Parts: sequence; C-alpha cells; structure tokens
Amino acid sequence: MTSNPEPVAEHAPRPYLFEDLALRREFSANVVGFCRWLRKHGAGPGPGEQMDALRALDAIDLLNEEDFYWTLRTTLAKSQQEQEVFDEHFRKFWYVWDHADQLNYRDEKETEVPTLVIDDRPRKQKYISINDWLNHAEEASEEQEAAGYSPFEVTTERDFSGFLMEEMDEVARLINEIGKALAVKFSRRTMKSNRRGPLDLRRTMRGCLRRGGDILDLAHLQRKRQKLKLVLLCDVSKSMDLYSRFLIQFIYAFQSVYKRIETFVFSTSLHRVTESLRAEEMEEALNLLESTVPDWSGGTKIGASFTEFVEQYGLSMLDPGTIVLIVSDGWDTGDVDLLENSMRVLKQRSRSVIWLNPLMGNPGYQPSTRGMQAALPFIDIFASAHNLNSLRRLVRQLSRVQHGRQLQAA
Amino acid sequence: MIQNAQLERVQNLLEAQDYVADRSIVMSVYLAMTLHKPLLIEGPAGVGKTEIAKVMARALDTDLIRLQCYEGLDANMALYEWNYQRQLLHLKIDENSTRTLEEREATIFGEEFLLKRPLLQALTHAKPPVLLIDELDRADEEFEAFLLEILSEWQITIPEIGSIKAKEPPYVILTGNRTRELSDAVRRRCFYLWIDYPEYDKELAIVKSKVPEIDGNLASQLCRFMELMREQKLEKVPGVAETLDWGKALAALHQDHLDPELVQETLGLVFKDRNDVRQVKESLASFLERVGVQAKEIPTIPDAE
Repeated sequence: MTSNPEPVAEHAPRPYLFEDLALRREFSANVVGFCRWLRKHGAGPGPGEQMDALRALDAIDLLNEEDFYWTLRTTLAKSQQEQEVFDEHFRKFWYVWDHADQLNYRDEKETEVPTLVIDDRPRKQKYISINDWLNHAEEASEEQEAAGYSPFEVTTERDFSGFLMEEMDEVARLINEIGKALAVKFSRRTMKSNRRGPLDLRRTMRGCLRRGGDILDLAHLQRKRQKLKLVLLCDVSKSMDLYSRFLIQFIYAFQSVYKRIETFVFSTSLHRVTESLRAEEMEEALNLLESTVPDWSGGTKIGASFTEFVEQYGLSMLDPGTIVLIVSDGWDTGDVDLLENSMRVLKQRSRSVIWLNPLMGNPGYQPSTRGMQAALPFIDIFASAHNLNSLRRLVRQLSRVQHGRQLQAA
Repeated sequence: MIQNAQLERVQNLLEAQDYVADRSIVMSVYLAMTLHKPLLIEGPAGVGKTEIAKVMARALDTDLIRLQCYEGLDANMALYEWNYQRQLLHLKIDENSTRTLEEREATIFGEEFLLKRPLLQALTHAKPPVLLIDELDRADEEFEAFLLEILSEWQITIPEIGSIKAKEPPYVILTGNRTRELSDAVRRRCFYLWIDYPEYDKELAIVKSKVPEIDGNLASQLCRFMELMREQKLEKVPGVAETLDWGKALAALHQDHLDPELVQETLGLVFKDRNDVRQVKESLASFLERVGVQAKEIPTIPDAE
C-alpha cells in the first residue's frame, strides 16, 4: 500500500469506494466482485446469473464499452428496480476498475455484510407466530383467543384507535404481515370445490376402454372456481381517518398476494387508487395515495361517491363474481336518495355487499344514522373493522361467500 | 470478429423489419440467441415486444411458435390433448376386430391421435424454433410454476407414450405487461429487457419508417403530441401502435399538420378509455399549443404583421 497515491486521489470520486472494493487481477474475478457489489446494494444476481454474465462477456467484443454495459445489464438486472440499482453502480464500480492500474491490488477476503443475517431471524419468528395465530384461530373460539396471554394476541383485540403513536409502526407492520398471510390462505381456499365441472374426456376414454368401447361413466373435471374479485370502497373522510389508514394498509398487503382487487377511496368524491397501491414500498404507496387524493380527511358524500362509481365503473367492474366491500361509518352529509339508489345497483350487480363499520366495535352502537338506515337493506354482511381480529373474521367471511353459503346480515 | 458479424446480422434484420432498435434491444436479442437463454421482455403495451420474437425467428431462420397466455390457461391447453373424437371413431370402427384390449389401447394412444399444443410443438420441432410465450403475467401462478419446470427440463411425460425430450431446446421469448409481478424464479432464469415508450427521436424514426407517406411536419407534431400525452395521467397510455394508427389515418387524409378539428374527431384512434378522451378533449387547445399547433380559434393580432 505504498505506491504513488496521487493519481488515485485525483481520479477517485470518493475514497470509501476503494475501501469497499476488492480489485483483483483476474477480469472474471472483477465481474464476480461486481455481482457481489450489486447484491450489497439491493439487486440480487445469484450464482447462475454470475455465470451467465461471464459466458455472455465471452461472446462480445470487450473493448466496446457500450456492449459491455448492455451485456452486463441484460444478464444481471432482472427487473426495473434492479436496472436502476445497476445503472447507479455500474459507473462507480467500473470507473474504479478503469483506473485499476494506478492502484494496489487487494486480495483480501471479502467481508460479508452481517446485518442481513441478524436482521432476518426475529422477523421470521414473528411470521411464524402470526401463522400460529391464524391456524390456532381456526379451532379456538374468539373468546379464548382474546384471553390469550401473549402480547401479540392482546394486540389483536385492541381497538385501532387505542394504539399509542409509538406503536403505530409496529401495528402497521403486523397488519402488513397478517394481510399477506390471510391473502395466501384465502386464495388457497378459493381453489377447493366439490362441484362437478366439465367432462374429463381423458378419464372418460380410459374408463370406456376398459369396457370395450362403450361410454358408461362420465368422468368430470374438478372445476377450478373463478377466483372472486373484490372491489373496495373506502371512506377516508375525517371521521374515518384512523381506521381507513389501517384498512388501506391491510388491503395493500392483501393485494400484494391476491391481485384481484380494485380499490377506491372517497370522501366528497371518488378516486381510484388501485395503481398507487401497487407501489413497491408501503410507505411510498401511502404517500402516493395522499398526494393523488385531494380531499383526504375531508367531509363525506357517500351517496355522490357511490353514484360516481356506479356510473363510471359499474358496468366494467361489477359482476356476479365480485364482492363489494365498503368501509365507512355511514356519516353522510350528502343526499340520502343518491346513497339508496346506488346501493341498490351495487347489490344487484355484485355477488354480495359487505359493509364494514368501525363503530360496530362499540357494544352499544346502533346503525341509526340516516345514511346507514338507507343502506342497510342492501347489505349482506354488516361487520366491524376496528381491530386485528375483525380483519381476520372478514377474510373468513369472504371465503364463505366464495363457497356460496347462505349469507346472513349480522 | 465472428461475434460481431452475428451482432450486425441481428441489427440488420431488425432494421429490415422496419424495427427501430437501440443497442440494448440488439444486445439482448443477440445474447439470448448466442447463449441460448430465455429472454424476458417487459414494458407497456404497444412498444413492440412481440415483434422481437418474429425478428429472432427470422435471424435464426426458423419457425415461430406462439403461446398466448390468458387467465385460466393450464398445462393441458399448453402441452397436448388427445384427439378424442378420432379415438372414439377408431374404437367404433375397430369394434368387431379380434384384437385384444391392449392392442387396441396401443393404437389409439399413438402419436397420430395426439394433438400437439404449442409447448409440445416447440419440444418436438425438428429445428429448434423460437417459442414466444406472450403475456405470461396473464396466466396464473400455477401455470408459471409449471412453465418453469418445462424451461429447466425441456422434457415432458405423457403417461400413455412416455417421456419426450427436446433434442435441442427452443429459443424462448417471454413477454409481460406487468399486470402481475412475475416470480423471482422466472426472472432469475431469463435475460431481461425492459422496453419503454420510445423517446421523441426514436418514435419519429419509427413513424417515418412505418408510415413512409406521412408529411414530415405532421410526423414531428404527432410525436411531440404523443410525448406530451404520455406525461399525462391516463387510464390507458397510448403506445406506439396508437401513434402509427393515427399517423396512417391522418396521412391518408393528406394532412400536413395536426388540425385541431380533425384531432377532436380522431381522438378515438388514440385513446381507448372514455375518461381519457374526455380529459384530453378538455385541455386539447393547450396541448396543441404546446406542440406548436396554432388553434384556429386563437385570433392572431393583425398589427403583429
């Protein structure tokens, strides 16, 4: 480490680069080093891709810098996000290599980033406990669960409004994981069906051969049920602020696994936010939401918003395989007739209408507001959505609808 | 160098098909061909993803086999099916023969009763074809998993016949619109190419090569307009296909610039969503002004002459 440091300092944009990089004499080793560098910065080329890159570099003219760049990019960056990481680091890395002749080579062993490994364990444990909770809940009654002693189970019964500010992040994370776990469960359930489907000609033919060519038994395919579509209409007016925030977090997580969801938010008017919720990071998705929805936390015009939905999207989004999920406390400052009419259409065109009202969490709550009264006749399931357990119940209700069981208003 | 000759061949072929390709596309196609790896192409609708498969088939001088994915597509529909009608007929005709059950079974489960679907076709093709698996994101996760198995083994088993293995695997191109995120396993197995909406210059070149009869001024106004449209928040962002449709229509009407009235009337060619049409109509005057079209309604000041 004693040869002339001047030219290095002159070319080096930042000294730490040289700390992180282990430059080797072999070209292939540098490619491997670049892969490792990318992994460290969030892109994930595996050993297979490393091999691909080396094989691909063998097929091009290495002196052509542009081809070199595209070759590595095609073989190592496998999504738009990875391409971004790649572009950010390509120059940084290979710039150093360009000037490698002015450097001392380092042949030390790479130090692996240990934080990843440490980080992983508690998260995994948490996930297992959520699965335990979900499975355990299948057999046990709600009361027993509520009496559970683990801090996690206590959390599940607490009203969202009762959480402290410091706890919000943790709850959001919990909701995220529960949402995903439930979505996986839900999509599995939708696969099972005992109904008879179309003829299975393959099996029928087999059977008929055994009997010398006459068709006696018709074999049927197990019909794969169309998965249900969900349309969520979520109230984000002032009175609902806290609950809708949690619900949207829930839907965000649910949607990342179960894709057949269209999400709208409304207060005084309606906004389609399905696309915003597809953002990679939940934080980003929520920010995007708030910037696209101008009247977040405003007043409420449920009837007008629903009418807008029915007119604009009713035909294309509603069908007998769709569940309409409404989240609102029913405090409507607008026209009640509009609400009644639009609810009628929602009910007619969809498989069922579920209304979640966080106020149902209060034991003494009566749905007596004018809006709620107008909407009630068209609601199949009227339920609460004020804590984690109620979210789980919701998913169970959804699967029941999936199997076409008789619905009863709560 | 030999490798550069191949590269150039790909480039030339793309150009010969009027495909305006930048270096990233040429390199990806070349690498996928040379290293015989599947190429995953993602990007918005109408940027020419499918075209690439056609070009690749030409470059390799082989056939193109296409598997269009859709929701509910399952392994049977993609692989093979028995020709049941023919089997039944055969059994009926054969009814009074003295052959044993085993013999009969052996005949009707022979290859001539097999209907090959795209994947099996690709496997058994004499010369390795280009297999285009279009819009994979539309098929469900189960199919994706099944496909992954095929992509790694290139071998399938038909119970009645036995295993069929490709002598040489086909060249595979997968496309996706990102309606659903494809699994990591699929990504890892493929080379990756993202094709975005073209920049102004590239789109202009595309328009000029695909609609040679178009007026130069109209073409550049058209592309500026489309560039502007892709910055708007629309339900269905128009792709290159829409630009070309529009260009062809306007050229057929012998236009040499974007005429505000005609634009109004032909918006339906470009925007395929009711709300989009409404939204664009509302601010059409300002859009046109920004691409350098003087609306007739805007009176010019006489003194300014």
